Amino acid sequence: MKFATRWPPVPAGILIGISMLLAWVVAGRGIGASGAMTRLVAWVQHGLFPTATEQSTYFGAYFADGAHPLNDYVVVLVLGLVIGSFVAAWLSGELRVEVLRGPRSSIAYRLMLGLLGGVLAGFAARLARGCTSGQALVGGAELSLGAWVFMMCIFVGGWMAAWFVRKQWI
Amino acid sequence: MDMIAPLAKTGAISPELNLWLAIPIGFVFGFALFHAGFTDSRRIAWAFYFKDVGVPVVMFSAIVTGMLGLFGLSLIGFLDISEVYLLPTFLLPMAVGGLLFGLGMVIGGYCPGTAIASLVTGKIDALVFLVGFLLGSLIFGDLFPVWGDFYNSDYMGVVRLDQVLDISLGAAVLGVVIVAVAGTLAMRYVQNRFWPVTEPDPQRRQVVKLQGALIAVAAVIGFVFMFFPTKSFIDDYVEPPYYIVPTGEVVQ
Repeated sequence: MKFATRWPPVPAGILIGISMLLAWVVAGRGIGASGAMTRLVAWVQHGLFPTATEQSTYFGAYFADGAHPLNDYVVVLVLGLVIGSFVAAWLSGELRVEVLRGPRSSIAYRLMLGLLGGVLAGFAARLARGCTSGQALVGGAELSLGAWVFMMCIFVGGWMAAWFVRKQWI
Repeated sequence: MDMIAPLAKTGAISPELNLWLAIPIGFVFGFALFHAGFTDSRRIAWAFYFKDVGVPVVMFSAIVTGMLGLFGLSLIGFLDISEVYLLPTFLLPMAVGGLLFGLGMVIGGYCPGTAIASLVTGKIDALVFLVGFLLGSLIFGDLFPVWGDFYNSDYMGVVRLDQVLDISLGAAVLGVVIVAVAGTLAMRYVQNRFWPVTEPDPQRRQVVKLQGALIAVAAVIGFVFMFFPTKSFIDDYVEPPYYIVPTGEVVQ
């Protein structure tokens, strides 16, 4: 991979830190990605079962006082994220439809585990009130105790399971 | 003292403009995620095998940058930190959430932000991960009464590492910088030991120089912070503006 495509980790991390800083300075809040996903499922489920979703203990809050779940800061932020990643990949000539996996992994195995991992991470992000960006990075920079515990547990959990799915990656 | 930021809270910009400005901020975030190599699930998963420790190093760098910027801007009187939404701690739910999230990351190869960034570059595995992620969020929300009590348990309010360790905020900042640098070097060492480089990178010297200079700057700022008392960064007597919806969602 070319140097221009993949930056060394420190400058890449600094630019992510700058995006966090911009959100604090402009909006007075952190960045995040998982919140938009929760709002998306709330919106889809509301389209199918409006009454049940509005009465839901968890999703109901998104519809309080006639609010639209997608009319929110985190959703606009993710829109920007999508454009930013697309432009970066396009400028680097890295736009390609493919299934990324280790040399010993079949496509079916990779997609099956991708789905399973997604379900686990989706559930976990709700339980922890945020994901790697909204909880670990933002909270980590705010010196939040919960965020640092969350981050350490991510690596503990990942290392615990790494051996079992090694054929997928290495 | 009249502070300028957060712009949306001090009335410097309208709520509509604030929402529009989320697009360029998200753009920078997505642009950086791509160049960090995080649109490739293998690079994320390899962190857990020490084959590519880019993930923790990028995370450390982002945290240190954000931390020095946040508290630095507060120190010089530019940012009113009492108007910034700081994340509250629910200790046990966050610990269990972290373990499950780590499992999900090594099994699925992404986290939500990186999966969205990767999907738009054409990666099918990111699409499948996101479908799973939406399902997982749906299961959590629809069966909320099952784990709602646990979700809201162990609430500690906004609690920072310096308060837990009973040291000054500046000392905690310097501590995080030291942990980040030591962690980076340790992980690099482990990576080189288990996965030695087969073809040397011709730009290695420049990269080491650049990153070394950036780390030195962070260390100097962290060292300077240590000489200021906590209250020059943040006034702990001002109630943080967080709010808790007991049974529903908090903003993140």
